[in-house]
Amino acid sequence: MSAHFSETRTVRGACPQDCPDTCAFLYHVEDGKLVEVTGDPEHPMTRGGLCVKLKNFAEHHYNPDRLLHPMKRVGPKGSGQFQKISWDDALAEIKARWTEIIAEHGAEAIMPHAYLGHQGTLNGLTAGDAFFNRLGSTVAEKTYCESGSSTAWIMTVGPTGGLDVESLEFSKYIIVWGMNMLNTNLHAWPFIVKAKANGAKIVVIDPVKTRTAKQADWHIRIKPGTDGALALGMMHVIIREGLVDKDYVEKYTIGYDQLSLRASEFPLQRVSQITGIPVQDILTLSREYATTQPSAIRQGVAVERSPGGGDAIRAITCLPALTGAWRHVGGGTVEMPIWEFPFKFDFMCRPDWIKPGTRVINELDLGAALTGQMPLDPPVKSLFVYNSNPVSQAPSAGQIVEGLKRDDLFTVVSELFITDTAKYADILLPATMQAEQYDLMVTWGHLYVMLNQPAIQAPGECVPNIELFRRLARTMGFDDEYWTLSLDEMLMRSYDWSSPQMQGITLEKLKQKGYMRLNVGMPDVRKPHAEGNFKTPSGKCEFAASAAAGGNFVVSVWRSGYEAMQPATFVDPVPNYIPPVETEGAPSAGKFPLNLVSPKPHAYLNTQYGNEPTQQRRQGEQIIVMHPVDAAARKIENGNYVRVFNDRGAFEARAEISEDVSAGLMMTNVGHWPGLNRSGTAVNSTTPPRHSNLGQAGTFSDSQVNVQKV
Amino acid sequence: MPHVVTENCRHCRFTDCVATCPVACFHLGDDHMYIDPDVCIDCSACIPACPVRAIVEVIDLPPEQEFWIEINARESKRYPVIRSKLAPLDGAEARRRELGF
Repeated sequence: MSAHFSETRTVRGACPQDCPDTCAFLYHVEDGKLVEVTGDPEHPMTRGGLCVKLKNFAEHHYNPDRLLHPMKRVGPKGSGQFQKISWDDALAEIKARWTEIIAEHGAEAIMPHAYLGHQGTLNGLTAGDAFFNRLGSTVAEKTYCESGSSTAWIMTVGPTGGLDVESLEFSKYIIVWGMNMLNTNLHAWPFIVKAKANGAKIVVIDPVKTRTAKQADWHIRIKPGTDGALALGMMHVIIREGLVDKDYVEKYTIGYDQLSLRASEFPLQRVSQITGIPVQDILTLSREYATTQPSAIRQGVAVERSPGGGDAIRAITCLPALTGAWRHVGGGTVEMPIWEFPFKFDFMCRPDWIKPGTRVINELDLGAALTGQMPLDPPVKSLFVYNSNPVSQAPSAGQIVEGLKRDDLFTVVSELFITDTAKYADILLPATMQAEQYDLMVTWGHLYVMLNQPAIQAPGECVPNIELFRRLARTMGFDDEYWTLSLDEMLMRSYDWSSPQMQGITLEKLKQKGYMRLNVGMPDVRKPHAEGNFKTPSGKCEFAASAAAGGNFVVSVWRSGYEAMQPATFVDPVPNYIPPVETEGAPSAGKFPLNLVSPKPHAYLNTQYGNEPTQQRRQGEQIIVMHPVDAAARKIENGNYVRVFNDRGAFEARAEISEDVSAGLMMTNVGHWPGLNRSGTAVNSTTPPRHSNLGQAGTFSDSQVNVQKV
Repeated sequence: MPHVVTENCRHCRFTDCVATCPVACFHLGDDHMYIDPDVCIDCSACIPACPVRAIVEVIDLPPEQEFWIEINARESKRYPVIRSKLAPLDGAEARRRELGF
């Protein structure tokens, strides 16, 4: 080793990923190089540890495959042949093509496509909203995840944070419903471990015996998409056996009689038949849940990914009001506490710039929109993708690829790497990674405001998304003040800093501390709905939802702040059970008799890190978990490569034969890069392009397939 | 990939690892800690916490050390889970110095 005196420093940051934990980072920098990223030991959730996904985060910044300069396509679409160009040339090309498209078809022929590839206020979900609203493009509805839950939650209890996951420590009965927390909400798990040490019972409701299910006291296997029936069945028992907290119901809820009538339609035998859960287990669960207080339900996003997912979330969200669990510290339910943060979406998204009557296209319908299957006038002539990777993450991926190959489609992709989607771009634009940019993170799993400060210089010509859209705005001739504000001015206007929950929190303090807790009460005393105080129009938990009168809607944050042109399809005021479409007895069940669910991977964050060799070793190749009975019927042995297929498409995977899934059900992970798989495809080649009953959520778990040895 | 506790833990058992583990996967042996591979979620929070660098992720184990995988899997099932830090074994400090940490 040579004698070398390096300059080392530590910079405070926050994790950029679409995960409820939003960890507090410490960036360790030596001589301008990011050498390590660790978790802040002081942060009450992060507690000094990150997760398997983020372990090589420092090296990730220096991945040799990173996109460092704007590029222009020089080969056929999808060939991956690109040539470096200047930012000026890239912007000029975009301007020329868009000007032409707008003149011929109008600006609605341009469609943005974004999601939560980054989770910041400046660079995240809404980073391009103001620009595209100003441009007059189609409004893209971004409902990959949480939108169905958002609509359901707001209809029932309003925009409240609900139970703090840190309060789970004080619970005596915890139901983890449709979430593999050890993979996707790791930093909330220690509070459950503490509760368990204090005698709490931990119940996991999941079709698959996941890592989390294996750690529980009781794993209840449920058929995918039948959660609503179980919640209504629990209500049936709770009401019939007089376990309702009548005083709470009378004071703090509306619609009890209607809910009671609905629950009466779900006797035990029927619920058992729908869900596959034995009658005695439903009885025990209902009784224990109602009588062991404080009881808590940690709801996972998986519940929304079925045709009746929205109503299932509504039904589950009604449960703690029925039993009065909200009265207690550690009682109630948590879905997504993001609603405690005082965002100013009108400033962030600028819906005032949307021309009345502008159309909306849902991002999960991208394949249909690009191929003409969805009648559109004007057609989509240009697609602008950032913070997202639809070829991997959207349903019916084969149809999306078909659309992206269209010669008359002008596709621009801003990315970190040449992903399966970016391969089809006409113009590629290089984006920064988290250690290279400044942002206030949007968190949806805890109650801390988190600031990410840049630790290193951006490589090459990479720019943060906010700078990308400022460059585009200048290029398109927009001269509004909005594009000239400093980053801190943007943040000051993006939140209501004078609101009660932000009292005492300032950007200056955040720059020192990195994070600060919202003023919403500490976890050991917080009881947000002990006396009602729900954020609904009635101020009560709405078993019969007043918001149902307007029909189905997507919460405006998922659609660039736009309130008009909602789906407005019928919504029953009282939650009901809406069965899956692709299930036993369906017409397709003959050809495709197996149900397939595709939860998130362990070592990747959706597709992020799926191209890192070390992470690939940790995750392993694409596997499909199948029951011994289903495997034997097809002469498939452990380790065989198999083709999983239906009428929508196919992918290949290595069979893992296990009783972690029930007969008739298979499990694989989304997030493997299709182009790195054996077949060049991944699970979303087979998933259906339909929507849940609320919030236009995807129905990724409502998918029938068959499987054969290759 | 799961993590394993290796030779350096023996006679030390500082147990700092336990306080950082989010899933309570450490088991307390007589003079050694063991990780239950079915519970470990591969986060590596414990690695920097160990004063004698005894904890290694399986993918980083040299071939001649791979026997630790089986030992951890077996011994973790025999011994009780431990959730909070204990006093180190007598002589732990001396052992740490001997190991060069």
